[in-house]
Amino acid sequence: MSAAGLIKTVFFTLITVGFFFIIWVYNPFAHKEVYELPEEAARIVGDPKAALEGRELFKQSCSSCHSVRYDGVYLMSVEAKPEWQKILKTMGKPILETQDGKVKIKGYYLPRDVYEAVALQDLENLKASFGKVPPDLSTIYLARGPGYLYQFIMDPQKVLPGTSMPKLFFPEYDKEAPQKVAKIVAYLRSVSEPSPSEKAKRLVMGVATVGYFILMGFILWFYRKRVLEKMGIS
Amino acid sequence: MLRRIAAWIDERAKVGDLYREQMIEYKVPKNLTFPYVFGVLALITFALQIVSGIILIMYYKPVIAHAFDSTNYTIMREIDFGWLFRHIHAAGANFFLAIVYLHMFTGIYYNAYKKPRELVWIVGWVIYFTLLVTALTGYLLPWGQLSYWGTVVTTEIPASLADAPVLKGIFGAIGETISIWMKGGYKLEDLALGRFFGLHVVFLPLILLGLVAIHLFLVRAAGISNPEGYEIDKKNEPEKLVPFHPYVTLKEGAIAMWYLALFFFFVFFYMSHFLPADNFEPADPLKTPPHIAPEWYLLGFYEVFRSIPSKFWGFVAFNLILLLLLLLPFLDFSPLRSARRRPLFFVMFLVFVISSMALTILGTMSPTPTNAKLGMFFTALVFLFFLSLPVISFVEWGWYKARGGQA
Ligand code: HEC
Ligand code: HEM
Repeated sequence: MSAAGLIKTVFFTLITVGFFFIIWVYNPFAHKEVYELPEEAARIVGDPKAALEGRELFKQSCSSCHSVRYDGVYLMSVEAKPEWQKILKTMGKPILETQDGKVKIKGYYLPRDVYEAVALQDLENLKASFGKVPPDLSTIYLARGPGYLYQFIMDPQKVLPGTSMPKLFFPEYDKEAPQKVAKIVAYLRSVSEPSPSEKAKRLVMGVATVGYFILMGFILWFYRKRVLEKMGIS
Repeated sequence: MLRRIAAWIDERAKVGDLYREQMIEYKVPKNLTFPYVFGVLALITFALQIVSGIILIMYYKPVIAHAFDSTNYTIMREIDFGWLFRHIHAAGANFFLAIVYLHMFTGIYYNAYKKPRELVWIVGWVIYFTLLVTALTGYLLPWGQLSYWGTVVTTEIPASLADAPVLKGIFGAIGETISIWMKGGYKLEDLALGRFFGLHVVFLPLILLGLVAIHLFLVRAAGISNPEGYEIDKKNEPEKLVPFHPYVTLKEGAIAMWYLALFFFFVFFYMSHFLPADNFEPADPLKTPPHIAPEWYLLGFYEVFRSIPSKFWGFVAFNLILLLLLLLPFLDFSPLRSARRRPLFFVMFLVFVISSMALTILGTMSPTPTNAKLGMFFTALVFLFFLSLPVISFVEWGWYKARGGQA
């Protein structure tokens, strides 16, 4: 290749790679809000045991207003209805969980339209009080990330001025408040993200797949060299 | 035994002859450069999309009440490896568009749209347009906030015709009709979701399949272009040609493997751009998210549209760019081909590439007045590229004649 050809090749490669890096990986030009997550909280959010405690905390403090349908957690007032268990078992699908090698039913997943029909009055009451139905939080972790959730639950008004979600944790009175909030975030994370063992599996699968294709590429490349030598083309 | 079965079939189906004719006796220029691989990579990505799409369609439910949950609960959590196929399909859509853009810029660089390959280019353009519509319709299906509001914005764009300087009434009515027709009503509801679903999973892929077949047939009929910019004479310079198999197949096969390695790296480890966070919030028609922008492959056009102060002219401008792209083989009527031998064209090509990239990146930024001015500037450069082609062609005809008709 001539020098000019080399320069052109390098130039086009660089601008193409640079362009896709900006568009796909890191865009320094686009504005992005950053929400800080304290170190202590980050440690709790990453801890699967904290997620279990977080689930109980969530049921106590949040389930009067929010459901987590993907985890079988519904509004307290709906779960108190006499026909509720029957509705879950006839219209719902079991959510399975493996514990100590045994498969257990953790709860029931109810299709959205069925749930909203059963909970119609409860949801309307909430809407009348807060101006809007408090959202289901099944995928909120993926949508907002841990930093936002931590800051928002600690102090909703600071993050989303004018919101009707009340402040529920007061570090002034409750020393444990930051840990409790972090545990709730850990719970929301566990609902949205694959479990640690599943993550490990995916990591192995990913490395194996990528490695396989890189290797196959080299094998084809060297095979081609040999074939071409035999044929007398270089 | 197997060999005898194969021989029995071959005697009747003549597969062996076909293979010899199409793979070995088919000769291509020896000096094909790396970018010629993008066509094959597009083909591979298309196959990935079809396979992963077939898996997804088994579990996806195209009604508003279930669309979001069927993707984010059923596919992502309930079905074994459902997440993998969703990741492949979402990353694949982005890679597909990226590869097709690279393929198009390659075609422009080597002037592969010129005689006898005008039809290859035109069919390619129709593929590109269909692909954009396919991506747009697929984007609505998960029924997240981005899906919903992205589609609202897109379906409102034709309504900007109402901004016309003359015949406001007629243009307005046309714009509104197109907009309602796209949405299936005044609001985006089950009707629109059903339509988009039908288009995305059956109609558009079938059209694409047919178009790709025609595209490949035409490529074979015309032969691959030569990066040096002249057609190789089969009789006089056979040393410049090589058999398609194994010379090209093994080379592009190796590159394809590395391409798949890169692709699966994203699928397993870096999905945050292809499955954006905002789309994990279910669509809420009452809550407009703070920043709505189309996907990156439309951002260039979107930036042209929004940086021009008049909506009407913005609409005209981006449609004109699409049209000029289609007419490229006729705008550029120079007897010379390939940017390697055309310095003037090479410079304008650079202008075009850089402007397209700049417009796309500007599209990701907030619409400040400075950005709007920059957007107008790069829009002007894109038009300059297209308008310069006839001028360059004219000049080059002069050189060509002066050299006694030699390229
Ligand atoms: C008294 C009712 C109530 C309780 C209790 C409550 N919330 Fe909320 N929450 C709301 C309302 C109302 C909204 C909607 C706010 C809005 O969009 O302005 C909301 C919104 C949210 C959001 C979404 C914020 C966003 O960015 O859209 C999150 C996350 C959230 N709540 C978490 C929690 C958690 C965790 C708890 C328990 C610690 C909790 N909420 C308890 C009423 C409540
Ligand atoms: C589904 C999408 C597409 C597929 C699968 C596809 C496939 C191919 C293949 C396999 C080739 C031959 C190898 C090569 O030169 O790369 C080719 C050539 C070509 N394609 Fe495409 N293509 C697609 C879209 C497009 C688009 C959108 C355009 C332009 C608008 C286009 C324009 C061309 C041209 C001009 C050639 C001839 C190249 C030459 O002879 O040098 N293609 N395509």
